[in-house]
Amino acid sequence: MRRVSLTGLLTNAVVWALAVVWALPVVGLLMVSVRPFSEVVVHGWWTPYGHFTLNNYVEVLFDPAYAFLQGYLNSFIVTIPSTIIPILLAAMAAYGFSHFSFPIKNYLFLTLLLIMAVPQQMVVIPLYFMLRNAHLINTFLGLILIHSSWGLAWITFFMHNFFKMLPREIEEAAMVDGAGYFTIFFTIVLRLSMPALLSASVIQFTWVWSDFFFALMFLISPDKYVVTQKVAYIRGEYHIDWGLLSAGSVLTMLVPLLLYAFLQKYFIRGMVGWTVKG
Amino acid sequence: MPFREKRYFLFFTLPAYILIAIFVITPIIGTVIISFETKNGFGLDNYVKVITETSPEKALVYLRRMPRPPPWGAMIHNFIWIAIHLPLSILLGLVLAYLLRSVRGSSIVKSIMFLGMVVPMIVGGLLIRFMYDEFIGIFPRLFALLGFKGILAKDWLIYPQTALFALILGAVWLWTGFNLTVFAAALESVPTSTIEAAMIDGANSWQIFSRIVVPQLKPAIIIAVIMTVLWDLKIFDIVYVSTFGGPGGASNVLALVMYLYFARALDYGRSAAVSIILALLTLIPGIWFIREVRKSEKG
Amino acid sequence: MSSQGGLLKAAIALSLIALLVSLAAIALLYSQIGALEAKINTLNGKISELESKVGALEQRVGELGKPAPTPQPQEQVELVVIGPWSGKSAEYFSKVIQEFEKKYPNIKIKYLTKRAEDLAQILPVQFESGLTPADVIITPWAWFIVKMAQKGYVEDVSSYVKEDEYIGGVVNNVKWDGKIWGAPFTMWLKPGFWYRKSFFKKHGLQEPQTWDEFVALLKKIKQIPGIKNPIVTGDGVGWPESDITEHFLITFGGPQLQYDLISCKKKFTDPEVEAIFKEKLVPLIKEGYFSEPMEWTSAVERWWAGEYALYFMGTWIAGRVQDPTDIDFFPLPGCKAVVGGTDYAFIPKFTKHKEAAIIFLKYIATEGQAVHVSGPAGKIPTWKGVSVDVIWTPMKSVYNKIKERNMKIVPDLDDTVGGDWQTLFWDQLKLLWVQPDQVDSVLQTLTEQHPACKG
Repeated sequence: MRRVSLTGLLTNAVVWALAVVWALPVVGLLMVSVRPFSEVVVHGWWTPYGHFTLNNYVEVLFDPAYAFLQGYLNSFIVTIPSTIIPILLAAMAAYGFSHFSFPIKNYLFLTLLLIMAVPQQMVVIPLYFMLRNAHLINTFLGLILIHSSWGLAWITFFMHNFFKMLPREIEEAAMVDGAGYFTIFFTIVLRLSMPALLSASVIQFTWVWSDFFFALMFLISPDKYVVTQKVAYIRGEYHIDWGLLSAGSVLTMLVPLLLYAFLQKYFIRGMVGWTVKG
Repeated sequence: MPFREKRYFLFFTLPAYILIAIFVITPIIGTVIISFETKNGFGLDNYVKVITETSPEKALVYLRRMPRPPPWGAMIHNFIWIAIHLPLSILLGLVLAYLLRSVRGSSIVKSIMFLGMVVPMIVGGLLIRFMYDEFIGIFPRLFALLGFKGILAKDWLIYPQTALFALILGAVWLWTGFNLTVFAAALESVPTSTIEAAMIDGANSWQIFSRIVVPQLKPAIIIAVIMTVLWDLKIFDIVYVSTFGGPGGASNVLALVMYLYFARALDYGRSAAVSIILALLTLIPGIWFIREVRKSEKG
Repeated sequence: MSSQGGLLKAAIALSLIALLVSLAAIALLYSQIGALEAKINTLNGKISELESKVGALEQRVGELGKPAPTPQPQEQVELVVIGPWSGKSAEYFSKVIQEFEKKYPNIKIKYLTKRAEDLAQILPVQFESGLTPADVIITPWAWFIVKMAQKGYVEDVSSYVKEDEYIGGVVNNVKWDGKIWGAPFTMWLKPGFWYRKSFFKKHGLQEPQTWDEFVALLKKIKQIPGIKNPIVTGDGVGWPESDITEHFLITFGGPQLQYDLISCKKKFTDPEVEAIFKEKLVPLIKEGYFSEPMEWTSAVERWWAGEYALYFMGTWIAGRVQDPTDIDFFPLPGCKAVVGGTDYAFIPKFTKHKEAAIIFLKYIATEGQAVHVSGPAGKIPTWKGVSVDVIWTPMKSVYNKIKERNMKIVPDLDDTVGGDWQTLFWDQLKLLWVQPDQVDSVLQTLTEQHPACKG
């Protein structure tokens, strides 16, 4: 099994070359955030000499005009429930779709698909009035409910596909042992689907975290701004401070990226546990 | 074989559908109503106006200039977008997910590919803009080094011949990470024993890839295709920030037309009409998807 | 059957419970964070208290020997003000706020940045539901204020803004139905081609006095080693190209042409307009005297670094360069007018502090302008009551140069027409810059889509 082949080396080289190309724009972004913009734009960001400073990060994080720390906090308040709620509810729905029959099931499924297609920009007018009438405008709760509802459709999809691949034998065995659907779902199915759940979580988390449009519409007062709104307001009408903007962007990207890098291990761990059991 | 109990279907799906009914379906119905509202009651006025619009900036189909370079109309651009972006990002994601099994530091590579997914949208558009900058951009520099002189060695975003295609390539950069994530997670559920058995039987990597991996990943591929098509149809942010649909409407897309009606013309009726057209277009992948689901349930 | 119905009920109950539990979880989380927030807030409060004490002290020192202050609102009010400035530009504006708060200690101002583009997305929706995110809103889009006024969302300010106290035409942009809906703030100008004095000196270049001299200058610059193109073309999403174009139109068609193009008395396909495009602008583009469009802030840096010699830009460029004393500008020879763009303040109908908002609006429309133009914001006053002496020195020379040449100030063409035609105009010019041969189709499109030409 352990043979270091030429093709193996080649594969490594090609994949890594691609990864380097992929990273270039973000490396450029990093350079702009730690170097004066005039240097980067005239001499190129790849030059190793020049001035380096972390001032942009300090300013973005601690200057009350930008107040990224507050934005971070708000983003977490919005994003965490907006990930957990739809993942749970969608997993249930997907289980329903994959395991039980129902007369208009396919049409219900088609509805889900249509929902995924509706552009956010257009529903904001009716949505705005609904939230206002429910006194949920400018509250985290309102935004969380919206993000959760809009995440449900695609996660249901995603989980539905995963459940179809799950071997039914385990569930059937559990049924023979007298377990109900409820028990089967919460004790067996959810545990088996950990890799898929985490995979969906990280994507949903990323989307909610990087949402700008819904936040722009529904969070009005500045002490409630999430981090993407903070980034956007670094840019004014006549003035763009590229150093601050790129530092703000790097900080914004950091959270989902760390989460992703961190959760990769869990994907594998979940997978290992599953093969052992299977 | 699905279980028979209908009530359990309700039990499991109802919580999700309650939220969806309140926060998704109700406002969609609101939008549909808005799209039919005209000055004198209800009618198809908005749809007619939107479809027959001739401004290169708002036209959905603009065939006046065919076969010359774009603009060809926002809807056509969306189709071109799908035709190029979908196969590129799916194939790239699939091949990478497979190759990464035998690459050292694969988790780092995956994180790098995921970068495009975490860039805030305004920054994503700006990054694309800098990617194509004549002097510090990656692609023009590369082509200049290879000895090219014409448009390819200049800023790709400012020429009507290249703007749309440059944006599509930028979208590959942003989106492939998603497909890779979905495929990599799904690939982990393909038992290694299956692949090892095939290797012992003397199958080469291509055979394993095409005969074992791809069929096993079919549900994941369907999901990725659907999400990619939907993303392509709804594409907005990066166009908005990097070209605003220009030059001369050459990189315009449906969502941007909708936005122009919404935030520039302040015409909500027509904006809603465009978004309904957009949603109807998604029926095409939708119906295909339903058929796939039915097939696999029968099979 | 009954068990099925029971299960259905159970399903609904369960879903509600799930909802409630998640809501409770959020509420819990929220209250925890609320406590933390409160702590931070009190800390911030203490700091601002300290600041206001220092401010009051300063004020007392400043007021020694001054006349008694103007009438104040009885109670402490906090006004939310939205404006388009961020970063450095916001700092220059915060000077105005500080001075205002000194004068009216009972009104506290909270300033927020929102670009005109973002405002156009959120304001109409919020107004429609009877809400407003701010008490006073400042935006460069006069057309947007008028549009909001037409829908009945804007407070009539006719009795607070006296048209004859402002430079010609400025107030007109926010008039509709015989009433005034916004108050003019300061103005930026797009006066001509900026150059570095040191660069001109080094290469023995001089400001051109005739069109031929201008073309000769471009030719000469093009031969200087290290120069990529004589003029750098900045590009936002098309707007700096529109400024150059307007400058050519005004120079060769006279200031009146600008107004005629806005109202569609003259069309873009008019032979006179066509001639300006085809004989003046397009040949220069074809000669390679303009660079290809590039992101406008990087264009500043590259122009400064000497890769380009000339940059057509608004006066705010003075606040963006390392050494504002090293820059100067010249308009096209024979140009009789300069495009000026004004930021306007308006009061949404739904404000809860109308009185205080009017006080602030009046202030920034008058005295506040003096404060703003005295700093490096790159602005000039629109209110005639501001003395020229207070203007920031680099801007004063701009101001004097315009006066010397007896140039009129005309409104920005695309900012005045507004709407989606504005983006069309930008976009078509972007096309013209890379494909100058398409000038006919560009002019055709601009005429066809012009809202005033459509009637």
